[in-house]
Amino acid sequence: MIIMLNGLTQGALFFILGSGLTLAFGVMRIVNMSHGAFYLLGGYLGFSVLQHTGSWTLAVLAGGGFVALLGLLLERGLLERIQAGGDLSQTLLTIAFSMIIADLCLATWGGHPLSIRAPAALSSPVRLFGFLYPGFRFVLMLTAVVIAFGLWFLLFRTRLGMAVRASVDDRETVSALGIRIDTIYSLMFMLSAFLGGVAGVLGGSYLQLSPGEDITILTYSLVVVIVGGLGSLLGTLISALVLGQILSFSLAFVPEMSMFLVFAPMALMLAIRPQGLFGRRF
Amino acid sequence: MIQSTRSAWRPERAEHRFGWSLGALVFILMVTLPWYADAYTITTYTRSIYFGFLALSVALLLGQGGMISLTQTIFFGMTGYVIGLLGAERGIAFPWPELAGLLLVVVVAFLFALVLMRTYGLVFLMLSLALGQIGWSFARQNTSLLHGWAGMRGIKPPELFGLDLSVSSHFYWLSLAVFCGALWVLWRIVESRFGLVIRGIRENPRRMSALGYHVFWQRVAIFVVAALFAAVGGILAAWSSGIVTPSTLHLNRMIWVLLVVILGGARYFWGPVLGTVIAVWLDVVISQLTPRYNTVIGIIFVLVILMAPNGLLGLWDSLQARRRRNRPPGSAL
Repeated sequence: MIIMLNGLTQGALFFILGSGLTLAFGVMRIVNMSHGAFYLLGGYLGFSVLQHTGSWTLAVLAGGGFVALLGLLLERGLLERIQAGGDLSQTLLTIAFSMIIADLCLATWGGHPLSIRAPAALSSPVRLFGFLYPGFRFVLMLTAVVIAFGLWFLLFRTRLGMAVRASVDDRETVSALGIRIDTIYSLMFMLSAFLGGVAGVLGGSYLQLSPGEDITILTYSLVVVIVGGLGSLLGTLISALVLGQILSFSLAFVPEMSMFLVFAPMALMLAIRPQGLFGRRF
Repeated sequence: MIQSTRSAWRPERAEHRFGWSLGALVFILMVTLPWYADAYTITTYTRSIYFGFLALSVALLLGQGGMISLTQTIFFGMTGYVIGLLGAERGIAFPWPELAGLLLVVVVAFLFALVLMRTYGLVFLMLSLALGQIGWSFARQNTSLLHGWAGMRGIKPPELFGLDLSVSSHFYWLSLAVFCGALWVLWRIVESRFGLVIRGIRENPRRMSALGYHVFWQRVAIFVVAALFAAVGGILAAWSSGIVTPSTLHLNRMIWVLLVVILGGARYFWGPVLGTVIAVWLDVVISQLTPRYNTVIGIIFVLVILMAPNGLLGLWDSLQARRRRNRPPGSAL
């Protein structure tokens, strides 16, 4: 039971991370390899904001907000310049960007693992079916549900979402219809970065932030997104939940094999269905 | 279409002679290095050589096949681990641990390729990142056999042809000889029909498949060959440094190699070689100047991608082309 709840928490975090990544990919065809670094930076910023203001909510918003601005900078300042270079050089650029962020994080916050202290009101244990379980994890799950619903609403029930979905299918036609595709790109990339930053503060409140975590997180998010199918929100949700359970159970029973067991379904998935659960071929 | 992809490999005639004489000069300078350089320079060049293998491996996949694979450091470190396990710990004599390492690399590379080659482009990149992370985390998490973070220690180079390889100049010569051999093999591959097919697949896999080539197996083959290049470099690296740790396999090292290859020019034969020599010296300089090594490397990476996507050799080529265009018609060369 506890293990399942742990898996659910992990899955919630995976979903927040993966949804950001898949959003940027779906719209812009960029795999943002700095997503892990966004997570780390968001978490660290949240840590500092919490220390100075004492407000955890503010920490979440600041972590997400600042990273969103950084995302805008990356998209407008660098990625846009090399659109001609194609997807691969854009992706390489995000790798380089991620190296810089991670190194500057190390310079600013040092090499010791840090943990964000969630507010007492949120973290008091909750009694459930006779078990005591940290309340903060429920907050994390709830946030994931809110984000999932919010994204669904944004993408499928608003005019902006309609434009976004249309530009996934055919960007030329959309821009010919007078929709500002650049703005859509920037907005979606910012939203994606925002989710990465928020995930960092949330993750930092229940796990730890330390150098190198960016790559681990990036790897997990990529696995979630690949299994779910690139660009698919529903696929990301399902694969995040499944992978969360796999990770949790393998950590409990066969810790030395945990990484293997997370990657095995991905290899299997790609062998059977290279485009992922709900992806389409690109 | 395929013909045009060949041209980058064939220097034009006027530059040809210049290229050969420059190559001969560099070669002589490299061979005679131990007689005029200090020990530090020699070990730095030795490091350039074994990382050069890694760069060749990445360049073969990227420049020829158009695939960015982030798994190559795994093969690089794998031979080192096998040598450490069998040679340093069990005391098995020279060729067997090394051969076992190469064999293991072939098997693992083949298995990786079976999964990887189902994909192209970005998915390929992400999948290779994930596979690379499996390898790295295995080396890190496995304490019983691979000693986790500590890795393998006490690897010694064997005595070959009566040469004592613990002498740095001897080791340098051996590495240089092996590297030249590898370059020759690479040249043969690139110029062969197989190389042409791989470049064809890079440009248009569907068309190659329609022409009757087994695209999947050709890509698997090039992946295994590339892994072998990395593996040979890994043997030299393990002999030279004496240790293999999970950080040998780490993604940061892999990204560094990718930068090296792109810096030199992935599609040029000499690109990875040039890139490695520059980058190894750059490493030395940067680490003396600032502890923010990764930041500097990252910035250089960004600049190269923005300003010279075909690397330094590509930059040189486009400058040459511009000069030729500006020359008034009819003037002598």
